[in-house]
Amino acid sequence: MRHVRDLSRRQFLVRAGGTAAAVPTLSAILDACSKPGASVSGSEAVQIARPDNPVTLPMTGEPIATDTPIEQGATIQILNWSVYMWKYVINQFVQQYADNGIKFSGISTFNNMDEGVQKLQSGKIQADVFFPTIDVLGKLVAADLLQPLNHDLIPALQQDNWAVFQNPYYDQGWRYSVPYTIYTTGIGYRRDQISDEQIHGMDNPWSILWDPANKGMVGVYPSDRDAMAIVLMKNGITDLNTSNDADLEKVRTDLLAMIDAVNPRIAYDASYNKLQNDKFWVTTAWSGDVVAGWGYAAPYTEAAYKGYGYWFPADRKGPIDNDLIAIPKNAAHPRLAHEFINFWISFRHAMDNFSWNGYQPPQTQADVNALTHTQGLYNKQSSSWAAPADYVAPWMPDAVVRESDFGIGYREGPLPPDVDDRWHQIWSEFTAGVGS
Amino acid sequence: MSVPSGAEPVRRGPRRSHRATDEGIHYSRWFWPSFTIPASIWLAILFILPLYTVISIAFGTVDPIFRGPLPVYEPWWWSGEQFGRVLGDSVSFYRIVYIHTFEYVVIASALCLVLAYAVAYYVARYGGKRKTILLALLIAPFFISYLMRMLAWINLLDTEGYINKILTFLHLVPHPIDWLSGRPSTVIMGLVYGYIPYMILPLYAFLDRIDINLLEAGRDLGAGPARTFFRVTLPLSRPGILAALVIVSLPMFGDYYTNNLLSGSPKTTMLGNLIDDALGSTGQGNKAAAFVLILMVLVLIPMLYYMRSTARSLLTR
Amino acid sequence: MSESVLTAPKTSALPRGGFVRRRLRNPWRRPTILATITWGYLAWSLIPLVIAIAVSFNASRSSSTVHLFSLQWWWTDPSDSLLHDPELHSAVIQSLRLSLTTMAIVVPLGVAFALGIDRWHGRLATGANFVMLLSFVMPEIILGVSVFFVFSFLLKFVPLGSTAQILGLVTFQVSYPVIIVRARLLSIGKEYEEAAMDLGATPRQSIRAVLLPLLYPAIFASAAIVFADTIDDFVTVRYLSGPVSSEPLSVKIYNFARGQPSPAINAAATFMLASTIVVAFVAYLLYRAFTKGQRTGGLGDLATRL
Repeated sequence: MRHVRDLSRRQFLVRAGGTAAAVPTLSAILDACSKPGASVSGSEAVQIARPDNPVTLPMTGEPIATDTPIEQGATIQILNWSVYMWKYVINQFVQQYADNGIKFSGISTFNNMDEGVQKLQSGKIQADVFFPTIDVLGKLVAADLLQPLNHDLIPALQQDNWAVFQNPYYDQGWRYSVPYTIYTTGIGYRRDQISDEQIHGMDNPWSILWDPANKGMVGVYPSDRDAMAIVLMKNGITDLNTSNDADLEKVRTDLLAMIDAVNPRIAYDASYNKLQNDKFWVTTAWSGDVVAGWGYAAPYTEAAYKGYGYWFPADRKGPIDNDLIAIPKNAAHPRLAHEFINFWISFRHAMDNFSWNGYQPPQTQADVNALTHTQGLYNKQSSSWAAPADYVAPWMPDAVVRESDFGIGYREGPLPPDVDDRWHQIWSEFTAGVGS
Repeated sequence: MSVPSGAEPVRRGPRRSHRATDEGIHYSRWFWPSFTIPASIWLAILFILPLYTVISIAFGTVDPIFRGPLPVYEPWWWSGEQFGRVLGDSVSFYRIVYIHTFEYVVIASALCLVLAYAVAYYVARYGGKRKTILLALLIAPFFISYLMRMLAWINLLDTEGYINKILTFLHLVPHPIDWLSGRPSTVIMGLVYGYIPYMILPLYAFLDRIDINLLEAGRDLGAGPARTFFRVTLPLSRPGILAALVIVSLPMFGDYYTNNLLSGSPKTTMLGNLIDDALGSTGQGNKAAAFVLILMVLVLIPMLYYMRSTARSLLTR
Repeated sequence: MSESVLTAPKTSALPRGGFVRRRLRNPWRRPTILATITWGYLAWSLIPLVIAIAVSFNASRSSSTVHLFSLQWWWTDPSDSLLHDPELHSAVIQSLRLSLTTMAIVVPLGVAFALGIDRWHGRLATGANFVMLLSFVMPEIILGVSVFFVFSFLLKFVPLGSTAQILGLVTFQVSYPVIIVRARLLSIGKEYEEAAMDLGATPRQSIRAVLLPLLYPAIFASAAIVFADTIDDFVTVRYLSGPVSSEPLSVKIYNFARGQPSPAINAAATFMLASTIVVAFVAYLLYRAFTKGQRTGGLGDLATRL
């Protein structure tokens, strides 16, 4: 059963990029660049990537040669969010490379992106693969912490993954990264309180988070970027990285108004646990959290399973994002790391992981229209769950991410420091409970 | 030199060779100081130095790429920019957090005191043969994790939990009450629950030491029980009360988990939450350090008071 | 109740007036109100504890309702029970490891400091004593955050995890034995030691043979307190934890409490409760054995040292 075990993965999904992550262990605050003369030359070195301003990251070295032999008897070192990968799939990898004597002894974990970067930087952990977010990618390259990928060793990207990730805006020519999971940020809701028709019929469904009818039952992620993106969406502002004073003032007013209107509570398990267990009726939600939420829907009856849904704009104009996999510069087994990435983003294994993880991989062979009525491997293996659990529940087609969405949806990107400060400031006012 | 001579008459028992021991005939000059060296070094490195680091971060700068704090260890290079901003925000929108924190702590400490005093008084004065079992029960909460007990409360207070079941069964309330939806009263209850054991035991120890003869003397002089209590017991236990108040209220000022678990609403944010949140988010390390510094200044007076009274009681007992 | 009957004649002659008045004026009456408060308090404080334990034997996954009786969460569940969940194992082991190690470091460190500071006077001593007391009253969050910062910036060679946690915990706990032992030293006075030295003992001998045995009650009491306080410590330990394996049970409980609670975590806490009680009982027996003839009154004596 997964209910307890994969909890921590979700806690840690609170992404970096200015999130107020209420995570179990504290982030190690970065000590990068405290030494003058480090390889980083300053903030100008990091270009801020936007879909309309694609960035080609500078080459900091050469990829490993294609004929590099696979390291023998290596223990693969994975540095990832705590419990973000199904161990079953990792074991499949170890079995496939049994001839090379590959071993696996556990994942080194971090609890938020700062800590991950810091572990990488300090050299305390020599990881073979690392799972960064888009907003730190440029910084990691600038700090010379990643190595360029050898595309010949990762054929799965071209074979199995969406074309949009063959040349992503944040890493043109995917020099350093491959995509891991894709997700949208929308609204999770209790279907017994708010019917599918009701929320889909609303003029502005985003505003349901302010509806006094749900007072005391509204959950918000402890993630300033995502919460504030939703406020922007509610106001019809589509620049999720806005530095416009009027926009930010609207965000501020609306966030503070939310406190008075519904007395929201901040929880990172808002949409995968509290929603499923009727503690919240409406939540800010990442699609992957809601998709995986059935594992938390105590008491595991059909009614509990069908009790919650996910809304995202039908025209797909909403916040969309993806996570990454990369290879650190100091990886001890770079060739094995390439094999691992290729394995992990190949169709079968990516889908197996999806069935456990709830976060969709951008797989071309996966018929996105079929995701709502086919079951993944995990669900078939799970003996404790009687109800059929599809990849995505049939009444949640909004949670399925399509390739075309990436041309339509809006991206949260890294913010320049001064803008970042202003965003933080507004979020601080919200968390301080400044009401009327 | 040693104990002030004024303290000498208080000492009991024969003090034949006082001069010999204290002036180093038996002990070499560094004999006793050497005992304190390991702990002193420990505290210098792991207590004083960390506090200095906090100051260096609060008055330090920010790294340009990852936005992490860069401590500045040389006081002459300190910059008040980061700290000034936090102070400014504290005056404007964080003010409400300070007010909440103060309200919750004061109310919770007062409730703790009333309850703890009653319980401690009862056990000390009327415990009788049951004293041992009562004490064991009072100590019992220390043996199971504080967080586990909070978890139990979350379940008790749930809309489908036992508290609501009982209340609705008895028709005391028409609908279950959403205790956990961000109510200050729930947070205060949690604080009282969490910290009161730390108050009962010292109060008990203090009350238990009050000489029963004094009470009887008061009664013999014609004072009623109420008068005896207010004129004798209460004044005698005043130092104990103040010390116990300090003991529970200081950690309450830094508490964030009770609030996180029982509320989670921005409406009940406390100073501890500000520290914990800042520490857990990107590029907010300076802010966390600044809040820690502010908290330290706020609790300085009660801390010094407590230390002075402890030092006194050690001298005069 | 029989006691009140016994004591009644003693005072019946004194007060005049109605029953209520008589009750109020009777200083030896059974204090009904106080008794009610006390037992009410005990119920309030212990019922959650009892429920927390009962839930660990739940036959369902629910943490809010008790459905006795099952050992599912102890060992029969093949993946999520205490016995079969490696994360819970490591959490329990980590909790015990942290508290035992901390206790082993703190007690000698603190006792030595108490002995030294009790007999050493002067400005330096006052300063050291001030810092020690300051570490006692400092709110834990201040200590936790500052130690975390020092390991992140200044003493970077200390990795987050068990080492950092123990270093932080010792700092937070070291004042307990100091305060308890000093109180005891004051009540002992210096006579025994002086007598020993008059009889020809060296300072070291007199400490080992005379003073330390006299301090055993205080040393045991402080060890017990440090153990109990550390096993439950959360703030310092959470800030200083590194890999998941370094998260003790308290941190796990916090994470579970904010996510999906499982009765298995209750089982782990109950197991911890049981082991703490065993440790406390053994300590109590040792305490009795070591302190024969010095005790004033068992548990009460121990409690007053808190």
